[in-house]
Amino acid sequence: MIAFSGGLRSALLIGGQGIRARKLRTLLSMLSLFLGVLAVVVVQAAAETGRRATLGYSELAIGKDGTLQMYVVPHEAGFPIILDTLRGRADAIAITMTQAIIGESGVRPINPGGGPIDTANSGSGPAPEAGFVVCDSRGICRPGPDPAEGSAPPGRAIELRLTAMTGDIRQFKPFRVESGQWLDFDSAPSLAPRIVLNKEAAKGFARHQVPARMRIAGAIADPTPQLIGVVDDGMFEPAAYVRADELLNWMPEGKLGALAFNGGLQMLLSPEATDVERILRARLLAIGMTEDQIHTEPIRSRHAVEQQLLILQWIFLGLASLVLLIGVAGILNVGLATVGERVEEFALRRAVGTPRSLLAGIVLVETMLTGLFTAGLAIGVGALVLTYGGRFLDAWLPYGWDLEFPWQAGAAGVVAGLTAGLLGGLVPAIRAARIPIAAVMRA
Amino acid sequence: MTPLIQLSSVGKTLTGQGRPRTILAGVDLTVHSGDSVAILGRSGSGKSTLLSLIGLLDRPDSGQYLLNGRDVTRLPERKAAALRSAEFGFVFQRFFLLNHLTAAQNVAMALVNGQGWLSRRKRRARVLAALERVGIAHLARHKPPRLSGGEQQRVAIARALVREPRVLLADEPTGALDTETGSMVIDTLLSATAQGCALILVTHDGDHAKRMGRVLRLEGGVLHSAADR
Repeated sequence: MIAFSGGLRSALLIGGQGIRARKLRTLLSMLSLFLGVLAVVVVQAAAETGRRATLGYSELAIGKDGTLQMYVVPHEAGFPIILDTLRGRADAIAITMTQAIIGESGVRPINPGGGPIDTANSGSGPAPEAGFVVCDSRGICRPGPDPAEGSAPPGRAIELRLTAMTGDIRQFKPFRVESGQWLDFDSAPSLAPRIVLNKEAAKGFARHQVPARMRIAGAIADPTPQLIGVVDDGMFEPAAYVRADELLNWMPEGKLGALAFNGGLQMLLSPEATDVERILRARLLAIGMTEDQIHTEPIRSRHAVEQQLLILQWIFLGLASLVLLIGVAGILNVGLATVGERVEEFALRRAVGTPRSLLAGIVLVETMLTGLFTAGLAIGVGALVLTYGGRFLDAWLPYGWDLEFPWQAGAAGVVAGLTAGLLGGLVPAIRAARIPIAAVMRA
Repeated sequence: MTPLIQLSSVGKTLTGQGRPRTILAGVDLTVHSGDSVAILGRSGSGKSTLLSLIGLLDRPDSGQYLLNGRDVTRLPERKAAALRSAEFGFVFQRFFLLNHLTAAQNVAMALVNGQGWLSRRKRRARVLAALERVGIAHLARHKPPRLSGGEQQRVAIARALVREPRVLLADEPTGALDTETGSMVIDTLLSATAQGCALILVTHDGDHAKRMGRVLRLEGGVLHSAADR
C-alpha cells in the first residue's frame, strides 16, 4: 500500500512536471480530444434531459412509477363502497371522469366532444355503428353530442373532461399549478363546486366568455362552478378537476359512479396501500361484481421509457465514440513523439531507481490528466451552452424540458476523457517502460 | 570484512546489428567501502559497460556478481531498480540534467522514483543538504541552461549523493570540463569516500586516476592493475 501510494504520488508529481514542461503539446492533444469528449458530454446531456422530460410527461399523464392503478367497470352500487373504503385514506384515491359542458344550455359547444380549443369544430360527425363521436384534426375521437344537440345552434359553451377525485391526485400525478390554487381537500365541501382547469381549458375560457353554468349528465341541476386555478396536467384536451364530494351535492353517489366513461372508475393507490386493494376487491366482489370487472396493474412507465431512450443513447454514444477515437489517435501520436524525445530522461530515471512500471505510470498519468483537463473544458462548454441556451429557449420548451446540466453528462465526460487518455497513452507508456537503459546511457 | 562489490569472471557480449562482440571476458574486481578505484582504458574497451554491470543497469552474460555478499547476477528488474535507488549513485559525462526542472528538482529526481515517499519538507531538506555538500545550494532554483558546465556536473553529483549511496559510479565525469573545473569535481567525488562511500571512476585522464586509491586498466576485456604495466 505504501509502495503503491509512493508510486502513484511520484507518477502524479512527475506527470504534472511533464505537462507543465510541454504545455503546447498538451494543448494540441487536448484540441484533438476536445470534440470527442464534447460529443460524449452532449449525447449524455441530451439523453438525460430527454429522459427527465419524457419521464416528467409520463408522470403527469400516466402517474408516478410504482403507483397501483385499479380499474372498476361503472357500477351503481360500487361507487358508494369505494367512497366508504377510501374515506380518511391519504394514500389512495378514487377518480371518475365524465364530460361536462360549461356555458349556455341548448347550444353546440365551441369544441363539441371536448376536443382541443384550437381544433374546435373540425371533423365532427356521426360514426356509423358506435353512436355519435367527435373526431379532432389528429384523428382522436370521443363520444359526441346527440343528434339533437349536434343540430343545435353554436353557442357560448365549452365542453371538457371533468375528473372528480376523492383525494389529492397530485401525489400520483405531479400537476404543476400555473395560476390560482389547487383544490383544498381538507376544507368543507362547497355547494358551488370549485374546479381547477388545465391549460387547454383555460385557453378556451380566456378566449370565450361563457356563463358560469355546468351541465353534467345525471346531475339533478346545473351547478355554478368556481374556477380557482389552472394546472399543467400534460393533456392536450380541455379538462377540469373537482372534488368528488362537491360534485355529490348535485348528483347521487350511484349516478356519479355509473356515469363514468372512458375507463370507468379508477383508483390510484400508493405502493404501500396494498391493504386498500385487498379490501376493495373483497367488498366489490361481495356486491356481485366479477373478477374480470376489476383490473389492477402497477405503473411501470419509467422502465418502458428508459428502455427506449437507452437504445437511442447507445446509438449516439457509439457515434460519439468514433469522434473520440480520433482524439485517442491524436494523443497516441503526440505521446509517441514525446516518448521518443524523452528517451534520455526515462533512461536516467531508471538509472536512479525508477521501476519500469512507474515510467509507464508517468506517461499514463500525463495522458490521463490531459484527458481530464479536456473533459473539464468540454463539460464547462457544455454546461455554459445548456445554461445560457436554456434561458433563451425556456419560453419555447414544452413542459418537463428543464435545461439544467445533468451530473451524468459531467460524469460521462470525465469517464470519456480518462478512457481516451488511457487508450491513447497505453502504447507510449509501454514504449517508455521498454527503453534500454544501458544502451542509452552508453550512447 | 565482506567486500562491497565482488565480481568473479564476469563476461559480457554485445549483440548489435553486426556480429556479436565480446566486451568483457572474465573480469574480476573487489571493492570495499571507502575505496576509490579508477578504471582506465581505450575508447570502446568496455569501461562504461563494466560500470553498467556494477550499477545493475545491465546484466552480465557469465560470471558472478556479489553486492555486499548478496548474489545479484540475475536479479529481477524490480529488485534491481530498488537496489540502484538504495545503493548506487551515478554521475555521467553528459550530466543528464532535465532542462525544464530547476537544480533542486533535478536532484529531487532521485528521491521521487517510486521507492518510498518523502514529504515535501523532508525532500527539500535532503536536496538542499546534497546541494550544500557540493557547494551550490545557492543555485537551487536555477535551471540547467543558466548553469556552467562545472555547476551542472555538481548538480549531477548532488543527485547521485542525495540518497547517500554506498557506491558512487562516475563515468568520465570530467570529460566535458576544463582541467581546473574537472579537478574540483574529482575533489567533490573523493570527499564522498571519506564518509565510507566507494567510488569507481572511469576516466581517460591519468592525473585524475592517480588521485584514486587504486588504478585499474581494462584491456582485452580483462582488468589489470595499472602498476602491472
